[in-house]
Amino acid sequence: MTNEANLQGTVSAPKAKKRKVASLDRKKARAGWVFVLPFVIGFAFVYLPIIWNSIWMSFHELKIITGGGYELIWCGFDNYKWALTEDPSFVQTLITGLGELLFDIPAILIFSLFMAILLNQKMAGRAAFRAIFFIPVILSTGIMESIEGQNILGTMMESGINDGSGGSASTEIVSAMDIGRLFSSMKIGTDLVEYVVDMINNIYGIVNRSGVQMLIFLAGLQSISPAIYEACRIDGATSWETFWKITFPMISPMILVNGVYTIIDSFTTDANTVMTYISTVYRSTDGQVRSSAMAWMYFLIVVLIILVVVGIFSAFVFYQKRDA
Amino acid sequence: MDVNMQQPKIKKESKNKIKVEFERTPLKERLKAKFLNLYFFQQVGWYIFRLVLLIGISYVVLYPFFTKIAGSFMSPEDFVDVTVRLIPKNFTLDTYKAVLTELDYFQAFRNTFIISLICGILQTFVCCVIAYGLAKFRFRGNKLIMALVILTMIVPHQTLQLSMFMGFRYFDIWGILSLLSGGASIDIEGFEAINEVLAGIKILNLEDHALGLTNTYAPLIILSATGLAFKNGLYIFMLRQFFNGVPDALEESAYIDGSGVFRTFITIILPLSIPMMVTVFLFAFCWQWMDDFYTNLFFTTNKIVLMPDIVEIPSSLKMDYAGQNLYYAAIRNTCGICIILPLVVLYCFCQNFLVQGIERSGLTAE
Repeated sequence: MTNEANLQGTVSAPKAKKRKVASLDRKKARAGWVFVLPFVIGFAFVYLPIIWNSIWMSFHELKIITGGGYELIWCGFDNYKWALTEDPSFVQTLITGLGELLFDIPAILIFSLFMAILLNQKMAGRAAFRAIFFIPVILSTGIMESIEGQNILGTMMESGINDGSGGSASTEIVSAMDIGRLFSSMKIGTDLVEYVVDMINNIYGIVNRSGVQMLIFLAGLQSISPAIYEACRIDGATSWETFWKITFPMISPMILVNGVYTIIDSFTTDANTVMTYISTVYRSTDGQVRSSAMAWMYFLIVVLIILVVVGIFSAFVFYQKRDA
Repeated sequence: MDVNMQQPKIKKESKNKIKVEFERTPLKERLKAKFLNLYFFQQVGWYIFRLVLLIGISYVVLYPFFTKIAGSFMSPEDFVDVTVRLIPKNFTLDTYKAVLTELDYFQAFRNTFIISLICGILQTFVCCVIAYGLAKFRFRGNKLIMALVILTMIVPHQTLQLSMFMGFRYFDIWGILSLLSGGASIDIEGFEAINEVLAGIKILNLEDHALGLTNTYAPLIILSATGLAFKNGLYIFMLRQFFNGVPDALEESAYIDGSGVFRTFITIILPLSIPMMVTVFLFAFCWQWMDDFYTNLFFTTNKIVLMPDIVEIPSSLKMDYAGQNLYYAAIRNTCGICIILPLVVLYCFCQNFLVQGIERSGLTAE
């Protein structure tokens, strides 16, 4: 940049003309605005009114006039108060929902990082495995998700003859008993045992939701220079040490990005408990405005969580110095 | 080299060939040294562990599809037969026939294809443009716009359900359209004169003083063209990281050669980013194809048949019997298979790009 500015200074025309010629920086800034223009226009003219309307609605009472049309009556924070104090299960759902979030995010992050590392190694059939692992990203969204939600086919196929004793892929892979016994002999707290068992039983959900994260991690792993690994090997580091001293710090910015993405993703899916609850409220009588009040509260909480997570994570994130 | 090393023993010598024998460790010893050590066992163990794990998880991923495919070939009797599990006893294609012929499948296919293609291409291009602007130009407000992009990603679209529907049902840009069609009014007493004047302006003649855009493709196209559609924040973010990794020198040399900013973008940057664009297009196309939130929101009548509309039970297959629930679930899953089949074909062609596009991108999180 400074170079260009200097260049501009030496080349620029005599003083009389100087005012008409915009500096290169200014020109580039203008071009930048042109590039982001579609988004700015869309945000200002489509998105902002929608958001504004939604917030505006949440402070109103919606009255449907018989004979068509509706009327909005200002009622301040009543909808919010109603959601927090009078609604029987909103607070409850919120707490369980956030609990699930706290459970899911580490599971998804660990799993996707692990899988990305596996899929990054050279081996036979790597392309095929990768293709299989990314299927859910493409195919298990939207319609399929809603079909899957009320699907009893999988359980039937499994329990048809075996009476469930064989276990089933979609419901329970391991029985909690077995793992529990294994862990209790290792003298580990029951919370951890439950966590691991839940994680394994939930594996389908986790695999389904960690596709994009896997892609991002893979990209991150690819960008680590092989020279560093080579140097490590020559110095006699084991692969365990290499992971913690090289891979982990180098990938830590990706962990931050993926953490934020996972939070956003898992709290905006339809499968999320709070989201489901909000949409049931939306469909109930005079629930439209109440549901938007709930949704905004939920949104604020999640933004707070994201800020906290970013704050904590960024203290540990290691940025490799690149020569620009 | 050892000075005392033994000379190789000459076994056979001819005019232009010589066969010698070195003193070397016997084969058994060599194999022992190679295979009977900890390193080798570790490698083999790791290899097996990895293979088992990968195959296991692949199974978990593919299992639901197996059950769907198996269920789609089963006849009604199979669902009450306890001995039938994954392999149907009475193989039948009736379910497919009914789904394909009775449910307007091809109409839905055509409509969904058109809208997914339009949205996919628009989103890919628009996100590229926006991301390029955010990545390569330092202007005031750059960071703010990036924050807004992330904001659009964070606000769940379900939150905006009602407002979004209203916004497109009565489409109006900050009241301009209603002003032009004479629907504007001011709620202050004593200003009736102004209201009359406002009502007199009738440049546009619109019902409801606004455009009703629901039940058309317009809402989705507007959202795509402005980078606000489903997950566009993610695409913009990915592309921005990609463009950050493209060296500035490339563009500078183009500028020096006299190319403008836009020409540089189209002739140099876009061809460079084709793998990444294919990735984004694949996401955009498939997610639009599978989408049921927006389509249910914006298409309230059945005039335009889209994919979510065909997930139902064909009338010729409706019947009352013990295995009814299972049978209906299987039919619904068959509909699902019919919906994703085109995507599977697309995925087979594009999956290389999916990984390579991101791999070669030098995507970093800064």
